[in-house]
Amino acid sequence: MGFVEVEAVKKIFYGEKKEVVALDNLYLTVNEGEFLCIVGPTGCGKTSLLRLIAGLEKPSAGKILIADKMVDGISRDVTLVFQQYSLFPWRNVLNNVAFGLEMKGMQKSERYDYARGLIELMGLTGFENAYPYELSGGMQQRIAIARALAYNSKVLLLDEPFGALDERTRHRLQEQLLEIWEREKKTIIFVTHNIDEAIFLATRVLIMRDRPGRIEKEVKVNLKKPRDRRSREFLQLHIKIREILETILTESGGNNV
Amino acid sequence: MKTVLLGLIIPILILIVWEYFAVKVDNTSLLPRVEAVFDRLAHPFTNLLDTGSFVHHILVSATRVLLGFLLAVIIGVPLGLLVGRILLFHRLFSPIIEILRPLCPIAWIPFAMAIFKTYTIADIFGLHYTTNIFGQIQLGMLFVIFYGGFFPIFLNTVHGVKSVKSLYIESALLLGANQRDIFKKIILPSSAPAILTGLRVGLGISWMVIIAAEMLPGSDAGIGYLIMFSYELAEMDILIASMILIGAVGAVLSYGVKVIADRTGRWQARER
Repeated sequence: MGFVEVEAVKKIFYGEKKEVVALDNLYLTVNEGEFLCIVGPTGCGKTSLLRLIAGLEKPSAGKILIADKMVDGISRDVTLVFQQYSLFPWRNVLNNVAFGLEMKGMQKSERYDYARGLIELMGLTGFENAYPYELSGGMQQRIAIARALAYNSKVLLLDEPFGALDERTRHRLQEQLLEIWEREKKTIIFVTHNIDEAIFLATRVLIMRDRPGRIEKEVKVNLKKPRDRRSREFLQLHIKIREILETILTESGGNNV
Repeated sequence: MKTVLLGLIIPILILIVWEYFAVKVDNTSLLPRVEAVFDRLAHPFTNLLDTGSFVHHILVSATRVLLGFLLAVIIGVPLGLLVGRILLFHRLFSPIIEILRPLCPIAWIPFAMAIFKTYTIADIFGLHYTTNIFGQIQLGMLFVIFYGGFFPIFLNTVHGVKSVKSLYIESALLLGANQRDIFKKIILPSSAPAILTGLRVGLGISWMVIIAAEMLPGSDAGIGYLIMFSYELAEMDILIASMILIGAVGAVLSYGVKVIADRTGRWQARER
Protein backbone atom coordinates (compact mmCIF):
# COMPACT_ATOMS: atom_id res chain seq x y z
CA MET A 1 0.00 0.00 0.00
CA GLY A 2 1.56 3.28 -1.08
CA PHE A 3 1.28 6.62 0.68
CA VAL A 4 -0.73 8.08 -2.17
CA GLU A 5 -3.05 5.65 -3.95
CA VAL A 6 -5.01 6.53 -7.05
CA GLU A 7 -7.38 3.70 -7.89
CA ALA A 8 -9.32 3.35 -11.17
CA VAL A 9 -9.88 7.08 -11.32
CA LYS A 10 -11.99 8.51 -14.10
CA LYS A 11 -12.58 12.21 -14.69
CA ILE A 12 -15.13 13.54 -17.12
CA PHE A 13 -15.49 17.22 -17.91
CA TYR A 14 -18.90 18.24 -19.16
CA GLY A 15 -18.66 20.85 -21.89
CA GLU A 16 -21.57 22.62 -23.53
CA LYS A 17 -22.00 20.12 -26.31
CA LYS A 18 -19.94 17.09 -25.48
CA GLU A 19 -18.28 15.48 -22.55
CA VAL A 20 -14.52 15.00 -22.45
CA VAL A 21 -12.97 12.05 -20.69
CA ALA A 22 -9.83 13.62 -19.26
CA LEU A 23 -8.67 10.63 -17.24
CA ASP A 24 -9.77 7.03 -17.48
CA ASN A 25 -9.02 3.98 -15.36
CA LEU A 26 -5.93 5.62 -13.92
CA TYR A 27 -3.89 3.80 -11.30
CA LEU A 28 -1.01 5.36 -9.43
CA THR A 29 0.94 4.49 -6.32
CA VAL A 30 3.41 6.84 -4.65
CA ASN A 31 5.52 5.71 -1.73
CA GLU A 32 6.20 7.84 1.30
CA GLY A 33 9.21 10.10 0.75
CA GLU A 34 9.28 9.43 -2.98
CA PHE A 35 10.00 12.09 -5.62
CA LEU A 36 7.74 11.15 -8.48
CA CYS A 37 7.78 12.95 -11.80
CA ILE A 38 4.99 12.73 -14.35
CA VAL A 39 5.61 13.62 -17.99
CA GLY A 40 3.21 13.44 -20.90
CA PRO A 41 1.93 15.26 -23.94
CA THR A 42 0.07 18.54 -23.58
CA GLY A 43 -3.53 17.97 -22.63
CA CYS A 44 -3.01 14.46 -21.26
CA GLY A 45 -4.60 15.38 -17.97
CA LYS A 46 -1.47 15.87 -15.84
CA THR A 47 -2.89 18.98 -14.25
CA SER A 48 -6.30 17.35 -13.79
CA LEU A 49 -4.62 14.48 -11.95
CA LEU A 50 -2.88 16.87 -9.56
CA ARG A 51 -6.10 18.80 -8.95
CA LEU A 52 -7.85 15.54 -8.09
CA ILE A 53 -5.11 14.51 -5.65
CA ALA A 54 -5.20 18.00 -4.11
CA GLY A 55 -8.95 17.66 -3.60
CA LEU A 56 -9.78 20.65 -5.80
CA GLU A 57 -11.88 18.37 -8.02
CA LYS A 58 -13.78 15.16 -7.40
CA PRO A 59 -13.21 12.04 -9.52
CA SER A 60 -16.15 10.92 -11.66
CA ALA A 61 -15.31 7.34 -10.69
CA GLY A 62 -12.66 5.57 -8.62
CA LYS A 63 -11.00 6.85 -5.48
CA ILE A 64 -7.88 8.51 -4.15
CA LEU A 65 -6.29 7.69 -0.80
CA ILE A 66 -3.61 9.57 1.10
CA ALA A 67 -2.20 7.85 4.17
CA ASP A 68 -5.14 5.42 3.97
CA LYS A 69 -7.68 8.23 4.10
CA MET A 70 -10.09 8.94 1.24
CA VAL A 71 -9.50 12.30 -0.40
CA ASP A 72 -12.77 14.19 -0.12
CA GLY A 73 -12.09 17.85 -0.75
CA ILE A 74 -9.11 19.91 0.28
CA SER A 75 -7.21 18.62 3.30
CA ARG A 76 -4.24 19.41 5.51
CA ASP A 77 -2.29 16.52 3.97
CA VAL A 78 -1.71 18.02 0.53
CA THR A 79 -0.80 21.32 -0.99
CA LEU A 80 -0.12 22.36 -4.55
CA VAL A 81 2.24 24.80 -6.23
CA PHE A 82 0.61 26.09 -9.38
CA GLN A 83 2.20 26.56 -12.77
CA GLN A 84 0.95 30.17 -12.85
CA TYR A 85 2.38 32.78 -10.50
CA SER A 86 0.03 32.47 -7.58
CA LEU A 87 1.53 34.69 -4.89
CA PHE A 88 -0.99 37.08 -3.36
CA PRO A 89 -0.01 40.39 -4.96
CA TRP A 90 -1.30 42.49 -2.05
CA ARG A 91 0.96 40.71 0.45
CA ASN A 92 4.70 41.09 0.73
CA VAL A 93 7.03 38.08 0.55
CA LEU A 94 7.05 37.50 4.31
CA ASN A 95 3.27 37.56 4.58
CA ASN A 96 2.89 35.33 1.55
CA VAL A 97 5.18 32.67 3.00
CA ALA A 98 3.51 32.96 6.41
CA PHE A 99 -0.03 32.65 5.00
CA GLY A 100 -0.52 28.95 5.75
CA LEU A 101 0.84 29.43 9.27
CA GLU A 102 -1.51 32.37 9.77
CA MET A 103 -4.41 30.09 8.78
CA LYS A 104 -3.24 27.59 11.39
CA GLY A 105 -3.48 30.36 13.98
CA MET A 106 0.24 30.59 14.73
CA GLN A 107 1.41 33.69 16.60
CA LYS A 108 2.78 36.49 14.45
CA SER A 109 6.36 36.49 15.75
CA GLU A 110 6.53 32.72 15.59
CA ARG A 111 5.25 32.45 12.03
CA TYR A 112 7.52 35.29 10.86
CA ASP A 113 10.54 33.50 12.33
CA TYR A 114 9.53 30.31 10.56
CA ALA A 115 8.87 32.12 7.28
CA ARG A 116 12.22 33.93 7.46
CA GLY A 117 13.94 30.57 7.77
CA LEU A 118 12.28 29.33 4.59
CA ILE A 119 13.03 32.55 2.73
CA GLU A 120 16.67 32.08 3.70
CA LEU A 121 16.52 28.46 2.54
CA MET A 122 15.37 29.75 -0.85
CA GLY A 123 18.25 32.22 -0.92
CA LEU A 124 15.98 35.26 -0.87
CA THR A 125 16.93 36.86 2.43
CA GLY A 126 16.54 40.62 2.11
CA PHE A 127 13.37 40.35 0.03
CA GLU A 128 10.99 39.84 2.99
CA ASN A 129 9.30 43.21 2.46
CA ALA A 130 9.24 43.09 -1.33
CA TYR A 131 5.94 42.67 -3.17
CA PRO A 132 5.48 39.96 -5.83
CA TYR A 133 5.47 42.50 -8.67
CA GLU A 134 8.99 43.49 -7.65
CA LEU A 135 10.29 39.94 -8.09
CA SER A 136 11.36 38.01 -11.19
CA GLY A 137 9.43 34.91 -12.25
CA GLY A 138 12.04 32.59 -10.75
CA MET A 139 11.96 34.42 -7.43
CA GLN A 140 8.16 34.30 -7.36
CA GLN A 141 8.14 30.54 -7.87
CA ARG A 142 10.76 30.07 -5.15
CA ILE A 143 8.57 32.04 -2.76
CA ALA A 144 5.53 30.02 -3.86
CA ILE A 145 7.46 26.84 -2.99
CA ALA A 146 8.54 28.36 0.34
CA ARG A 147 4.89 29.20 1.03
CA ALA A 148 3.87 25.60 0.31
CA LEU A 149 6.75 24.24 2.45
CA ALA A 150 5.73 26.47 5.36
CA TYR A 151 2.33 24.80 5.35
CA ASN A 152 4.22 21.55 5.94
CA SER A 153 1.76 19.14 4.35
CA LYS A 154 2.71 15.48 3.99
CA VAL A 155 2.38 15.55 0.20
CA LEU A 156 3.64 18.36 -1.99
CA LEU A 157 2.30 18.64 -5.53
CA LEU A 158 4.07 20.79 -8.10
CA ASP A 159 2.51 21.56 -11.48
CA GLU A 160 5.26 22.60 -13.90
CA PRO A 161 6.49 25.19 -11.41
CA PHE A 162 9.59 26.00 -13.49
CA GLY A 163 7.86 25.89 -16.88
CA ALA A 164 8.10 29.62 -17.58
CA LEU A 165 11.72 30.04 -16.48
CA ASP A 166 14.94 30.17 -18.44
CA GLU A 167 17.18 27.12 -18.39
CA ARG A 168 19.83 28.39 -15.98
CA THR A 169 17.29 29.48 -13.40
CA ARG A 170 15.43 26.24 -13.84
CA HIS A 171 18.54 24.15 -13.19
CA ARG A 172 19.36 26.12 -10.05
CA LEU A 173 15.83 25.75 -8.69
CA GLN A 174 15.86 22.02 -9.45
CA GLU A 175 18.99 21.63 -7.33
CA GLN A 176 17.43 23.63 -4.51
CA LEU A 177 14.25 21.58 -4.62
CA LEU A 178 16.27 18.34 -4.42
CA GLU A 179 18.15 19.63 -1.36
CA ILE A 180 14.90 20.49 0.36
CA TRP A 181 13.33 17.17 -0.53
CA GLU A 182 16.31 15.29 0.92
CA ARG A 183 16.24 17.35 4.09
CA GLU A 184 12.49 17.42 4.70
CA LYS A 185 11.70 13.87 3.51
CA LYS A 186 8.58 15.02 1.72
CA THR A 187 6.50 13.02 -0.69
CA ILE A 188 6.58 14.98 -3.92
CA ILE A 189 4.61 14.60 -7.12
CA PHE A 190 6.08 16.84 -9.80
CA VAL A 191 4.45 17.35 -13.17
CA THR A 192 6.56 18.58 -16.09
CA HIS A 193 6.76 18.31 -19.84
CA ASN A 194 10.53 18.57 -19.66
CA ILE A 195 12.11 15.09 -19.84
CA ASP A 196 15.49 16.36 -18.70
CA GLU A 197 13.93 17.93 -15.61
CA ALA A 198 12.10 14.71 -14.77
CA ILE A 199 15.22 12.56 -14.95
CA PHE A 200 17.26 15.06 -12.94
CA LEU A 201 14.73 15.15 -10.08
CA ALA A 202 12.81 11.90 -9.89
CA THR A 203 13.23 8.58 -8.19
CA ARG A 204 10.66 7.38 -10.70
CA VAL A 205 9.24 8.89 -13.88
CA LEU A 206 5.71 8.07 -15.01
CA ILE A 207 4.78 8.69 -18.61
CA MET A 208 1.15 9.56 -19.29
CA ARG A 209 -0.75 9.16 -22.51
CA ASP A 210 -3.64 11.27 -23.67
CA ARG A 211 -7.20 10.67 -24.97
CA PRO A 212 -8.04 9.54 -22.41
CA GLY A 213 -5.29 10.28 -19.91
CA ARG A 214 -3.75 7.36 -18.07
CA ILE A 215 -0.34 6.05 -17.04
CA GLU A 216 1.41 4.43 -20.00
CA LYS A 217 4.85 3.45 -18.67
CA GLU A 218 7.08 3.72 -15.66
CA VAL A 219 10.82 4.39 -15.75
CA LYS A 220 12.90 4.02 -12.60
CA VAL A 221 15.79 6.45 -12.21
CA ASN A 222 18.61 4.82 -10.27
CA LEU A 223 21.29 7.38 -11.07
CA LYS A 224 23.56 8.66 -8.31
CA LYS A 225 23.24 12.24 -7.14
CA PRO A 226 24.28 14.80 -8.16
CA ARG A 227 23.09 13.67 -11.55
CA ASP A 228 25.16 14.60 -14.56
CA ARG A 229 22.94 15.63 -17.44
CA ARG A 230 25.72 14.75 -19.91
CA SER A 231 26.42 11.25 -18.57
CA ARG A 232 25.72 8.30 -20.82
CA GLU A 233 23.14 6.81 -18.42
CA PHE A 234 21.28 10.11 -18.19
CA LEU A 235 21.12 10.45 -21.96
CA GLN A 236 20.05 6.84 -22.41
CA LEU A 237 17.13 7.41 -20.05
CA HIS A 238 16.31 10.60 -21.91
CA ILE A 239 16.18 8.75 -25.25
CA LYS A 240 14.14 5.94 -23.74
CA ILE A 241 11.48 8.32 -22.37
CA ARG A 242 11.45 10.36 -25.58
CA GLU A 243 10.81 7.22 -27.62
CA ILE A 244 7.88 6.26 -25.39
CA LEU A 245 6.43 9.78 -25.73
CA GLU A 246 6.86 9.76 -29.49
CA THR A 247 5.06 6.43 -29.76
CA ILE A 248 2.18 7.87 -27.74
CA LEU A 249 2.04 10.90 -30.00
CA THR A 250 2.01 8.87 -33.22
CA GLU A 251 -0.74 6.65 -31.87
CA SER A 252 -2.94 9.50 -30.75
CA GLY A 253 -2.19 11.66 -33.78
CA GLY A 254 -1.13 14.57 -31.59
CA ASN A 255 1.63 16.89 -32.62
CA ASN A 256 3.17 18.47 -29.58
CA VAL A 257 5.00 17.34 -26.48
CA MET B 1 7.82 71.23 -12.67
CA LYS B 2 7.58 71.24 -16.43
CA THR B 3 4.27 69.33 -16.35
CA VAL B 4 2.87 71.79 -13.81
CA LEU B 5 3.76 74.70 -16.07
CA LEU B 6 2.24 72.96 -19.09
CA GLY B 7 -0.97 72.40 -17.14
CA LEU B 8 -1.16 76.11 -16.34
CA ILE B 9 -1.16 77.27 -19.97
CA ILE B 10 -4.84 76.59 -20.73
CA PRO B 11 -6.21 78.10 -17.46
CA ILE B 12 -4.18 81.25 -18.07
CA LEU B 13 -5.45 81.46 -21.66
CA ILE B 14 -9.02 81.15 -20.38
CA LEU B 15 -8.40 83.98 -17.89
CA ILE B 16 -7.01 86.18 -20.65
CA VAL B 17 -9.96 85.55 -22.98
CA TRP B 18 -12.37 86.09 -20.07
CA GLU B 19 -10.71 89.39 -19.07
CA TYR B 20 -10.70 90.54 -22.72
CA PHE B 21 -14.44 89.99 -23.11
CA ALA B 22 -15.20 91.38 -19.63
CA VAL B 23 -13.51 94.65 -20.54
CA LYS B 24 -15.21 94.67 -23.93
CA VAL B 25 -18.71 93.91 -22.59
CA ASP B 26 -18.26 96.30 -19.68
CA ASN B 27 -21.29 95.06 -17.75
CA THR B 28 -20.64 93.44 -14.35
CA SER B 29 -24.07 91.86 -14.17
CA LEU B 30 -23.30 90.01 -17.40
CA LEU B 31 -19.58 89.22 -17.21
CA PRO B 32 -17.52 90.57 -14.31
CA ARG B 33 -13.77 91.20 -14.53
CA VAL B 34 -11.37 88.48 -13.36
CA GLU B 35 -10.20 90.72 -10.47
CA ALA B 36 -13.75 91.09 -9.13
CA VAL B 37 -14.22 87.33 -8.92
CA PHE B 38 -10.85 86.68 -7.34
CA ASP B 39 -11.51 89.48 -4.89
CA ARG B 40 -14.62 87.56 -3.78
CA LEU B 41 -12.57 84.36 -3.45
CA ALA B 42 -9.96 86.20 -1.39
CA HIS B 43 -12.58 86.91 1.30
CA PRO B 44 -14.14 83.52 1.99
CA PHE B 45 -15.53 84.51 5.40
CA THR B 46 -17.41 87.62 4.22
CA ASN B 47 -21.18 87.40 4.52
CA LEU B 48 -22.63 87.35 1.00
CA LEU B 49 -26.08 88.73 0.10
CA ASP B 50 -27.07 88.23 3.73
CA THR B 51 -27.00 84.42 3.33
CA GLY B 52 -23.65 83.52 4.87
CA SER B 53 -20.06 83.26 3.67
CA PHE B 54 -18.53 80.97 1.06
CA VAL B 55 -17.11 78.86 3.89
CA HIS B 56 -20.56 78.52 5.43
CA HIS B 57 -22.17 77.44 2.16
CA ILE B 58 -19.37 75.04 1.29
CA LEU B 59 -19.56 73.48 4.75
CA VAL B 60 -23.32 72.98 4.43
CA SER B 61 -22.94 71.37 1.00
CA ALA B 62 -19.98 69.25 2.08
CA THR B 63 -21.79 67.97 5.18
CA ARG B 64 -24.80 66.97 3.07
CA VAL B 65 -22.55 65.20 0.60
CA LEU B 66 -20.47 63.39 3.18
CA LEU B 67 -23.54 62.12 5.06
CA GLY B 68 -25.30 60.96 1.90
CA PHE B 69 -22.07 59.47 0.60
CA LEU B 70 -21.46 57.65 3.88
CA LEU B 71 -24.93 56.14 3.55
CA ALA B 72 -24.08 55.01 0.02
CA VAL B 73 -20.85 53.40 1.25
CA ILE B 74 -22.50 51.67 4.20
CA ILE B 75 -25.12 50.12 1.93
CA GLY B 76 -23.27 49.92 -1.41
CA VAL B 77 -20.11 48.10 -0.32
CA PRO B 78 -21.68 45.26 1.72
CA LEU B 79 -24.43 44.78 -0.86
CA GLY B 80 -21.84 44.72 -3.64
CA LEU B 81 -19.82 42.10 -1.75
CA LEU B 82 -22.92 39.91 -1.35
CA VAL B 83 -24.07 40.31 -4.94
CA GLY B 84 -20.57 39.68 -6.27
CA ARG B 85 -20.03 36.57 -4.17
CA ILE B 86 -23.41 34.91 -3.71
CA LEU B 87 -25.43 33.85 -6.73
CA LEU B 88 -28.76 34.14 -4.89
CA PHE B 89 -28.13 37.83 -4.20
CA HIS B 90 -26.95 38.36 -7.74
CA ARG B 91 -30.21 36.95 -9.12
CA LEU B 92 -32.24 38.86 -6.55
CA PHE B 93 -30.75 42.28 -7.21
CA SER B 94 -29.55 42.31 -10.84
CA PRO B 95 -32.86 43.15 -12.55
CA ILE B 96 -33.80 46.03 -10.26
CA ILE B 97 -30.28 47.44 -10.41
CA GLU B 98 -30.33 47.39 -14.20
CA ILE B 99 -33.63 49.30 -14.22
CA LEU B 100 -32.63 51.90 -11.63
CA ARG B 101 -29.07 52.46 -12.84
CA PRO B 102 -29.81 54.43 -16.03
CA LEU B 103 -32.17 56.68 -14.08
CA CYS B 104 -30.19 59.88 -13.51
CA PRO B 105 -30.11 60.91 -9.83
CA ILE B 106 -31.23 64.42 -10.81
CA ALA B 107 -34.48 62.93 -12.12
CA TRP B 108 -35.15 61.85 -8.53
CA ILE B 109 -34.83 65.34 -7.07
CA PRO B 110 -38.46 66.48 -7.59
CA PHE B 111 -39.72 63.11 -6.40
CA ALA B 112 -37.51 63.20 -3.31
CA MET B 113 -38.68 66.72 -2.52
CA ALA B 114 -42.32 65.75 -2.85
CA ILE B 115 -41.87 62.76 -0.58
CA PHE B 116 -39.53 64.19 2.05
CA LYS B 117 -40.77 67.80 1.83
CA THR B 118 -38.35 69.98 3.77
CA TYR B 119 -37.77 67.54 6.59
CA THR B 120 -34.26 67.71 7.94
CA ILE B 121 -32.13 65.53 10.16
CA ALA B 122 -32.84 68.00 12.97
CA ASP B 123 -36.58 67.25 12.60
CA ILE B 124 -36.02 63.53 12.93
CA PHE B 125 -33.75 63.69 15.94
CA GLY B 126 -35.68 66.52 17.56
CA LEU B 127 -32.77 68.93 17.53
CA HIS B 128 -34.95 71.92 16.84
CA TYR B 129 -34.17 73.91 19.94
CA THR B 130 -30.63 74.45 18.73
CA THR B 131 -29.67 76.01 15.48
CA ASN B 132 -27.01 73.80 14.05
CA ILE B 133 -25.94 72.35 10.77
CA PHE B 134 -28.38 69.43 11.04
CA GLY B 135 -31.21 71.83 10.35
CA GLN B 136 -29.68 72.23 6.91
CA ILE B 137 -29.47 68.52 6.05
CA GLN B 138 -32.70 67.86 4.15
CA LEU B 139 -33.69 64.20 3.85
CA GLY B 140 -34.58 64.61 0.18
CA MET B 141 -31.08 65.84 -0.56
CA LEU B 142 -29.53 62.98 1.40
CA PHE B 143 -31.60 60.55 -0.61
CA VAL B 144 -30.50 62.00 -3.94
CA ILE B 145 -26.82 62.06 -2.92
CA PHE B 146 -27.12 58.52 -1.68
CA TYR B 147 -28.66 57.50 -5.00
CA GLY B 148 -25.91 59.22 -7.00
CA GLY B 149 -23.10 57.71 -4.95
CA PHE B 150 -24.58 54.26 -4.58
CA PHE B 151 -24.29 52.91 -8.12
CA PRO B 152 -20.60 53.54 -8.80
CA ILE B 153 -19.76 52.15 -5.35
CA PHE B 154 -22.01 49.14 -5.67
CA LEU B 155 -21.10 48.29 -9.27
CA ASN B 156 -17.36 48.63 -8.75
CA THR B 157 -17.55 46.47 -5.63
CA VAL B 158 -19.43 43.77 -7.55
CA HIS B 159 -16.89 44.00 -10.35
CA GLY B 160 -13.98 43.84 -7.89
CA VAL B 161 -15.35 40.75 -6.15
CA LYS B 162 -16.12 39.00 -9.42
CA SER B 163 -12.61 39.67 -10.76
CA VAL B 164 -10.83 37.95 -7.87
CA LYS B 165 -8.75 35.26 -9.56
CA SER B 166 -9.83 31.74 -8.67
CA LEU B 167 -6.10 30.95 -8.59
CA TYR B 168 -5.78 33.04 -5.41
CA ILE B 169 -8.85 31.47 -3.82
CA GLU B 170 -7.64 27.96 -4.61
CA SER B 171 -4.13 28.76 -3.37
CA ALA B 172 -5.57 30.02 -0.09
CA LEU B 173 -7.82 26.96 0.30
CA LEU B 174 -4.81 24.70 -0.28
CA LEU B 175 -3.01 26.55 2.51
CA GLY B 176 -5.74 25.87 5.03
CA ALA B 177 -8.05 28.88 4.60
CA ASN B 178 -11.74 28.47 5.47
CA GLN B 179 -14.56 30.46 3.84
CA ARG B 180 -14.24 33.24 6.40
CA ASP B 181 -10.49 33.53 5.74
CA ILE B 182 -11.18 33.55 2.01
CA PHE B 183 -13.51 36.50 2.45
CA LYS B 184 -11.31 38.48 4.82
CA LYS B 185 -7.86 37.65 3.49
CA ILE B 186 -8.48 37.17 -0.24
CA ILE B 187 -11.75 38.69 -1.49
CA LEU B 188 -11.51 41.94 0.47
CA PRO B 189 -7.88 42.87 -0.21
CA SER B 190 -8.09 41.69 -3.79
CA SER B 191 -11.13 43.84 -4.58
CA ALA B 192 -10.05 46.83 -2.46
CA PRO B 193 -8.64 48.80 -5.42
CA ALA B 194 -11.89 48.41 -7.39
CA ILE B 195 -13.95 49.39 -4.35
CA LEU B 196 -11.85 52.51 -3.88
CA THR B 197 -12.32 53.43 -7.54
CA GLY B 198 -16.05 53.16 -6.88
CA LEU B 199 -15.73 55.44 -3.86
CA ARG B 200 -13.87 58.03 -5.90
CA VAL B 201 -16.39 58.07 -8.74
CA GLY B 202 -19.29 57.92 -6.28
CA LEU B 203 -18.03 60.88 -4.27
CA GLY B 204 -17.61 62.88 -7.49
CA ILE B 205 -21.18 62.16 -8.58
CA SER B 206 -22.53 62.94 -5.09
CA TRP B 207 -20.85 66.32 -5.23
CA MET B 208 -22.36 67.08 -8.64
CA VAL B 209 -25.80 65.96 -7.56
CA ILE B 210 -25.87 68.10 -4.42
CA ILE B 211 -25.27 71.26 -6.44
CA ALA B 212 -28.23 70.41 -8.66
CA ALA B 213 -30.40 69.56 -5.65
CA GLU B 214 -29.58 72.82 -3.90
CA MET B 215 -30.61 74.84 -6.93
CA LEU B 216 -34.21 73.73 -6.58
CA PRO B 217 -36.67 75.59 -4.33
CA GLY B 218 -36.81 74.67 -0.66
CA SER B 219 -33.17 75.23 0.12
CA ASP B 220 -31.71 78.23 1.92
CA ALA B 221 -28.05 77.31 2.15
CA GLY B 222 -25.35 75.47 0.28
CA ILE B 223 -23.10 76.44 -2.58
CA GLY B 224 -25.70 75.42 -5.20
CA TYR B 225 -28.26 77.62 -3.49
CA LEU B 226 -25.77 80.50 -3.48
CA ILE B 227 -25.33 80.11 -7.24
CA MET B 228 -29.08 80.35 -7.89
CA PHE B 229 -29.52 83.22 -5.44
CA SER B 230 -26.68 85.26 -6.89
CA TYR B 231 -28.11 84.57 -10.36
CA GLU B 232 -31.46 86.01 -9.31
CA LEU B 233 -29.75 89.13 -7.95
CA ALA B 234 -27.49 89.32 -11.01
CA GLU B 235 -24.37 89.08 -8.78
CA MET B 236 -22.26 87.43 -11.43
CA ASP B 237 -18.98 87.73 -9.54
CA ILE B 238 -20.38 85.64 -6.65
CA LEU B 239 -21.87 83.17 -9.13
CA ILE B 240 -18.58 82.60 -10.95
CA ALA B 241 -16.60 82.48 -7.72
CA SER B 242 -19.01 79.78 -6.47
CA MET B 243 -18.49 77.76 -9.64
CA ILE B 244 -14.72 77.92 -9.20
CA LEU B 245 -15.11 76.78 -5.59
CA ILE B 246 -17.31 73.85 -6.61
CA GLY B 247 -14.64 72.70 -9.04
CA ALA B 248 -11.87 73.15 -6.49
CA VAL B 249 -13.68 71.27 -3.71
CA GLY B 250 -14.56 68.46 -6.12
CA ALA B 251 -10.92 68.16 -7.16
CA VAL B 252 -9.77 68.07 -3.52
CA LEU B 253 -12.30 65.35 -2.64
CA SER B 254 -11.28 63.27 -5.64
CA TYR B 255 -7.60 63.73 -4.87
CA GLY B 256 -8.13 62.68 -1.25
CA VAL B 257 -9.68 59.36 -2.22
CA LYS B 258 -7.04 58.87 -4.91
CA VAL B 259 -4.21 59.16 -2.38
CA ILE B 260 -5.82 56.44 -0.26
CA ALA B 261 -6.57 54.33 -3.32
CA ASP B 262 -3.03 54.56 -4.65
CA ARG B 263 -1.60 53.37 -1.36
CA THR B 264 -4.00 50.44 -1.13
CA GLY B 265 -3.76 49.51 -4.78
CA ARG B 266 -0.01 49.87 -5.14
CA TRP B 267 0.30 46.17 -5.96
CA GLN B 268 -2.37 46.29 -8.63
CA ALA B 269 -0.92 49.16 -10.63
CA ARG B 270 2.27 47.19 -11.18
CA GLU B 271 0.78 43.77 -11.66
CA ARG B 272 0.88 42.46 -15.17
